[in-house]
Amino acid sequence: MSIQEKESIVNIFSSILITGGFSWYVYNSHQQGVYDLTTDIKQWGILFLAFMLVQIVARIVIYILFYIGNTIVTRREEKNINDERNRLIKLLGIRNAHYTFSGIMMITVILLAIGMPVYGIFIAWVFSSLLSELIENGSVLYFNRKGV
Amino acid sequence: MKKINIDNNVRKLRFMAGELTQQELADKVGVSRQTIVAIEKNKYNPSLELAFRIAEVFETPLEEVFSYKGNSI
Repeated sequence: MSIQEKESIVNIFSSILITGGFSWYVYNSHQQGVYDLTTDIKQWGILFLAFMLVQIVARIVIYILFYIGNTIVTRREEKNINDERNRLIKLLGIRNAHYTFSGIMMITVILLAIGMPVYGIFIAWVFSSLLSELIENGSVLYFNRKGV
Repeated sequence: MKKINIDNNVRKLRFMAGELTQQELADKVGVSRQTIVAIEKNKYNPSLELAFRIAEVFETPLEEVFSYKGNSI
């Protein structure tokens, strides 16, 4: 398995873990009355900023652990060469992620128009970010295996 | 998945070049080993520039490395 494929698998699991963990924390805090996410839009902004920070830090830690673990297991340092094929695969992955994100956001706007509460758009935002990231990394994995 | 209509002799040329490894060829043309594997398995069509670089390594004309199989739509 190439380093790009391993990286995609790590990305899939880490995005589920980070988004799932943070969502669980926010949901529990909301249930306990720490946040009122149904009416206070400002708190969504604060939570999204905190989520971005958590995600950056968690990603850095996960990448460091992944590269150290991979070097120990394979006993050689694998270089992640960004050549034309990898760039093309990455581009196809980003395209699929973009379609997914746009599609979900379009559905959300329609739901908003027929009466969905405003906070639903933030939940859809989190969901579409997670799903588009899964689609992106799944596509990279698929194109690496099947060819482009 | 679209069908690739370009055939190549990279595997044969590597053998004729003293069993040049995929990694060695990859290093010489500046791509990853996975890209060479994909080209050999006809899973990826290289750019014109990469095709010329591969031909240059084997010191052979481009048409001896890659050949067009025709349109099979």
